[in-house]
Amino acid sequence: MEKKSNVKWVIIAVVLVILLFFAFIFAGIVALFFGLSEAERIGTGNVALIHINGLILTEGGGGFFDEDVVSSTKIKLDIEDADADPTIKAIIFEINSPGGSAVASEEIANAIKKVDKTTVALIRETGASGGYWVASATDYIIANRMSVTGSIGVIASYLDFSGLIKDYNVTYERLVSGKYKDMGVPFRELTPTERILFQKKLDLIHEYFIEEVAKNRGLTNEQVNDLATGIFYLGSEAKELGLVDELGGEEEAIAYLEKELNITVEIVEYVEKPSFFDILAGTLNEKSFFVGKGIGSALTEKKANKLEVWA
Amino acid sequence: MKKKGLSDIPKEYAFNKGGPASKWRRIIAFIIDLLVVDFVLFFPFRGILTKIMPTASFKETYSYLQSNPSISKTINIIMLFFGILTLLYFAILEWKLGQTIGKIFTRITVASQTNKLRFWQCAVRSLFLIPVFPFVLLWVIDPILMFLTKTNQRLSEILSKTMVVNKYN
Repeated sequence: MEKKSNVKWVIIAVVLVILLFFAFIFAGIVALFFGLSEAERIGTGNVALIHINGLILTEGGGGFFDEDVVSSTKIKLDIEDADADPTIKAIIFEINSPGGSAVASEEIANAIKKVDKTTVALIRETGASGGYWVASATDYIIANRMSVTGSIGVIASYLDFSGLIKDYNVTYERLVSGKYKDMGVPFRELTPTERILFQKKLDLIHEYFIEEVAKNRGLTNEQVNDLATGIFYLGSEAKELGLVDELGGEEEAIAYLEKELNITVEIVEYVEKPSFFDILAGTLNEKSFFVGKGIGSALTEKKANKLEVWA
Repeated sequence: MKKKGLSDIPKEYAFNKGGPASKWRRIIAFIIDLLVVDFVLFFPFRGILTKIMPTASFKETYSYLQSNPSISKTINIIMLFFGILTLLYFAILEWKLGQTIGKIFTRITVASQTNKLRFWQCAVRSLFLIPVFPFVLLWVIDPILMFLTKTNQRLSEILSKTMVVNKYN
């Protein structure tokens, strides 16, 4: 009788273990296919904390070598997620970025402007150039008095290797259809016309940048234009110039939200946790590939007509 | 000679000796089983749901899911799969042993109105665990019938020709 009872419990244990195994397999598949391993929320609360750390690019930030890169695609998803969550009443953006791609910076700034909730930018060490563009889209900017901010300007400088390849008796065979198709390749000097064309495009992006900051900060284009020399400002200077609203840190950001929304702030941290496939893709991306191929060749292999504009 | 399994409960055993199990025993057994299923089988899904579901009031959670169709879809898929796993827990154990953990503790067992309890019967009697239409209708019909029939049978039990009886020994 007792033996029969033991067999019964063994059968129950085996059935439970098998079903648990399938449950784990399915849970893993769900996490993988629905991207649940990408963004992890730490804690539960009413204010989302989204980190914008490193170079702002449209993609990237997943691989072992991309720790200092933030992807506008992922940040946009976090913003949309926090905005759609009714338990989240406000979003704090903790910025530590020297800027990055103009397009990626504007993508994040636009996503912030669409948010229906109160948004605060908390500039830590650096919130310059594209980093400042992002900050300017929030309702309120707080920075440390020594934070590096501003730097409203556009840069697209690159190394010209034409002298070097000439010294090594290497010839650049120019094969293009369309006379400006290889404008900006590092193997030949820019012609005066190309330089003017290039500069015009940079000026246009600079203008967009100024317009956006002026609109976001409630300043005139002329006011921002005077500040937009590309120079960076310390937090204390930026406060005087109207680029920052308050000097301080996280405590000040929380105090501002508590006063503004009449709530007790509890932070939910949005952490980008790369999935296995992210790490794999990031590790195999262009930059990592260049590590193996040689840094020198990576620098010289600037793709024709690929204008890299940094804000 | 045909091998006799634990679940081979003769018809007369169910009706004459053991008799239909009481509603309260059945409810307690079901609660115990739900706790086991929640503790063991739901464990891998808990982490995922914590990540994607807000800890908020019903109203806020509802509006969150309304504005996040992809999250709702993910949750539906998880619940469907979890429902299938739960059905398998009940169906396999009842088929093999005539009892689940809850039924062991409350000393009740599943009996077939035919001579041998078959897997399809065990699966049909647990169809209410699948959270999709039309099975969700059983959430209402099953308990009503259980309280109305003399043998405390649910609709899915009548359809599967099974009955839960007191364990006789």
